[in-house]
Amino acid sequence: MTMMHFNPFNPFIYLNAAGFGLVTASILALCAIGLTLQFGVTNYINFAIGSFLTIGAYFAWMVNSHGLNIWLAMIVGGLGTAVLAVILNMGIMQQFVRRNYPVLFMLIVMFGLALILQNVTLAIWGSDFKRYTIATPHQFNLGIFKLTDQQLVIIGVALVIMLGVHLLLTYTKIGKAMRAMSDNPTLARNCGIDTNLVTNITWALSGFLAGLAGVVLAINITTIQPSFGDDFQFVIFAAVIVGGIGRPYGAIAGAALIGIVTEVSAALINSSYKNDVAFAILVLVLLFRPQGIFATEGKA
Amino acid sequence: MDRTLLYLISLATIFFIYNILSWGLNIQFGMTGILNFAYIIFMAIGAYIAGSFALPKATEIAGQTYVFGFSLPFPIPLIMGGIVASAFGLLVGFVALKRLRSDYMAIATVSVAAITYDFIGNYTPLFNGWDGLAGVPAPLQTALGLSYSNYQLFFLAVCFAFMVFFFFLTQRINHSPFGRTLRSIREDIDVSEAFGKDTFRYRMIAMAIGCFYAGVGGALLIEYISALNPGGWTTGETFVLFAALIIGGSGNNWGVAFGTLLVPIVFQEATRYLPQFPNSDYIIPALRNIIVGSLLIITLWFRPQGIFPERKAEFPSVPLAEPENKQEEADVALG
Repeated sequence: MTMMHFNPFNPFIYLNAAGFGLVTASILALCAIGLTLQFGVTNYINFAIGSFLTIGAYFAWMVNSHGLNIWLAMIVGGLGTAVLAVILNMGIMQQFVRRNYPVLFMLIVMFGLALILQNVTLAIWGSDFKRYTIATPHQFNLGIFKLTDQQLVIIGVALVIMLGVHLLLTYTKIGKAMRAMSDNPTLARNCGIDTNLVTNITWALSGFLAGLAGVVLAINITTIQPSFGDDFQFVIFAAVIVGGIGRPYGAIAGAALIGIVTEVSAALINSSYKNDVAFAILVLVLLFRPQGIFATEGKA
Repeated sequence: MDRTLLYLISLATIFFIYNILSWGLNIQFGMTGILNFAYIIFMAIGAYIAGSFALPKATEIAGQTYVFGFSLPFPIPLIMGGIVASAFGLLVGFVALKRLRSDYMAIATVSVAAITYDFIGNYTPLFNGWDGLAGVPAPLQTALGLSYSNYQLFFLAVCFAFMVFFFFLTQRINHSPFGRTLRSIREDIDVSEAFGKDTFRYRMIAMAIGCFYAGVGGALLIEYISALNPGGWTTGETFVLFAALIIGGSGNNWGVAFGTLLVPIVFQEATRYLPQFPNSDYIIPALRNIIVGSLLIITLWFRPQGIFPERKAEFPSVPLAEPENKQEEADVALG
């Protein structure tokens, strides 16, 4: 990028930032969809989502460093995280759900799990930065946006996933079962839905999407280290809350809003405060529209 | 004085200070059911306020930038630390406690913790950024003119006095009508609402009191160890306090003190002297966090009420039909 005189009234700066915002929004949307679906089905939030991202990125790094193409490694990262999510669900979360613990205790269990996963990641992969083996990015000039080929693939992956989740929720039995459980778990069980199976599938989907998101986040910011997913975690929460908890379409809209606003604010103010902007939006939404901006009625 | 004795004195000092922190969290979580995952932030605020009020002007100390710098004498910075932490607690409570669902509370507080950590770390003029404050004067050290070891004993006595004060305060709150209201909110917020309690107000007061404890505890901590940087108040530290509460028995102040002795003191100290792995000094802290997290999950699994459970008042049972699924009921009630 050429150094030019910074003119805060130059609209191209913001348009270009909005282009980066689309990339951030795509990454956010990937994990926010999974997180919000899982929240809707299980009725407690996954505080370990940041670690899921990190672990997905490391899984992909492991196969990528042995020569696998990064985009195939991304699938491996997603699948690995999905398996981990199902194992954790069956081994830990379901055990506590079965005891009918209050939500308060579930949240502490998730908080504890997040701490364990963060530190397991640190102990296994160390605190140094890792990088993927990846082709040199090629920049495209798309009229107002300037994006690299990798960033375009990231946006493409997100669009494919969104379409896939939409089809899953609308046309398949399992998708309808997820929506039913999200609306009323007792009624869903009484209608003969295998709620255990649906919960496991939801966790697998949520883990898969978080793993993918971790890999594309690492591609976008070029490095991986053990806390990089956790730094992103509450930006994901912001997207989910803005969209309304348990609402996948809301999560997409929330991701778009948070992604674009944070990147534009980075161009406008200073990029080290872009998380604070996401936080400000989160606080405003919690104060004035806790059911989410885009939801007609939420679970709040 | 003997080295071992000095070491034990320092452990006891830290234990007394941590007890104050744990009881503050106990008022919020154990009594009221407020899930404040940002608790350690209030400890940090208390510490930074106390530190910067006790330090001289930043221009007089090379290599540090911070606000205030009033060189105030001993109890004033500490009290200010408590008050500012408490005020910040009200601010957070205003956002986090508006909603009834505990998820929102947890998300809001986790986000507050992440943002405060980032902000204090990145914005150097406030409290010297990631390097943190250092060289905070030990209270009354020059005025008393004691030898090093006698001063350690003196500070231990100060912390003990604070601990005893806060213990009686917590017990008093616990057994007062106010404490009973808090516990009724924890058990069932809708019922206490139905009995005409302004639950938002009660939870805000519990938040303020708990954060005051955190602030005073943090102030004592920075005055004892004379320095603090953001590495000393990561989310893991909040978790250590939750672990102490739940393992000891949340709601029971004696149990919480036992948990505090077990988790932050014995456990943190016991792992400090394990041999370091060459070139990977992160292994031991990582293992410590893994074990603290596992201990907590194991406790919730086998003995969710903790080692010393809260003693609950017993009432003659009323033959009423129990709702089949409480969570469902709550959800319906909350709309």
